Amino acid sequence: MSRVEEIVNIANHIPPFPKVAMQVMKMLEDPKVQPKDLAEVIQYDSAITANLLRTCNASYFGLPRKVSSLDEALVLLGQDALKDILIASSSARFYKGGAGEGYQLEQGDLWKHSVAVAIMSKAISRHFKGVDPGTAFTAGLLHDIGKRFLSSFVASDFKKIMDRTYIDGLSFMAAEREILGMDHAELGALIMEKWDFSEEMILAVRFHHDPQALSKDPLTALVAMANTLVISMGVGVGADGLSGAMQGEGVKRFGITNLDLDRYMSNLVLEMERAEDMMVLSK
Amino acid sequence: MKVIVGISDMKIGTKPDEELVTYSLGSCIGVALWDPVAKVGALLHYMLPDSSIDKDKAEQKPYMFADTGVPRMFKEIYKHGALKERMKVYIVGGSQVMDDSGMFNIGKRNQMIIRKMFWKNNVTVTKEDVGGAVNRTITLNVGTGNVKLKISGQGEVEL
Repeated sequence: MSRVEEIVNIANHIPPFPKVAMQVMKMLEDPKVQPKDLAEVIQYDSAITANLLRTCNASYFGLPRKVSSLDEALVLLGQDALKDILIASSSARFYKGGAGEGYQLEQGDLWKHSVAVAIMSKAISRHFKGVDPGTAFTAGLLHDIGKRFLSSFVASDFKKIMDRTYIDGLSFMAAEREILGMDHAELGALIMEKWDFSEEMILAVRFHHDPQALSKDPLTALVAMANTLVISMGVGVGADGLSGAMQGEGVKRFGITNLDLDRYMSNLVLEMERAEDMMVLSK
Repeated sequence: MKVIVGISDMKIGTKPDEELVTYSLGSCIGVALWDPVAKVGALLHYMLPDSSIDKDKAEQKPYMFADTGVPRMFKEIYKHGALKERMKVYIVGGSQVMDDSGMFNIGKRNQMIIRKMFWKNNVTVTKEDVGGAVNRTITLNVGTGNVKLKISGQGEVEL
């Protein structure tokens, strides 16, 4: 088997995205859905239930009081917050342990980075007409899912990739592509496809490092911008550093200025403090 | 003992066995100060140049911005007997993604402001490692004044 085949094979045999999450997301499309109907479904996945209870008290989600039962949480949480928590609770299992080791990320860093991009994506979503904040959050959370599964391949050819990046001036991702035959964005898109996420989300994952991403469709531009800001802040950044290009010109069509970017970055520092309870999910 | 300086924070070290460390500087800048006589050190991790974008934040998190964080850092270390003429000064960080439009030039703006502030106030930089696209970690040993620079994926060197 060639290495690309090996990598594609991983995508083909990836564990499914938790069915319970997908089912609840569908149920939430019906505005008349009752909390008890949701609880009925969610309680069958004990990991999601536990994670949901661990994270919903994060001040980021703004619950009026501490909750300790699923029923209570479902009654108090708004639908938007519930969707975000559900996705986070379901995704966390893929980011456990040394998920980003090949990129020289410390334990928990890939998750921290993903949560930061999710929060940033949601915060900037108001500039991107037609993008739902919950979709932005989900796409942000999963944009680097390919790293989780490419990590061991990157580790085995680490020196070659680093030399191509920091000696020859390629972006780290272009070096992944050249040396491994596939990069983490492409692998991530394959995984999103396997998991049955929407076409716009698959594209956003595939193009999040594309230098022209900000001129592409709104969700792609949004995730690329959120990721660029979070990388600039150094949150959950590894050996790939800030390598690569991103043509910033494209954000102007969304009416976003340098000043906005600075403000969103400064807000994220405080929001990450309020989301501290989400960090334990990768442990 | 390791003392971690988070993003938008500053710490003073006065004990010889203390090491001040700040991780993962992307576009942010880490400033390290050390006085060899007073044996006191300080490490700052600021994220943005200019606090005028948000006065409330500047009050809540003065070390988030260069214009509020750097002067405050100097004031704090002077309280521990440090003198400007004696101090070693190090700056690292200020990386950025490649972007001709200047939209994401946060690293460059962070470098420019500290140079301007140091120029105005006659502060000489002892050593620096800024710019490029790498991710840096800096450690200051309070006892010896040694400064170590780690570039993610490329190992650690003495600055």
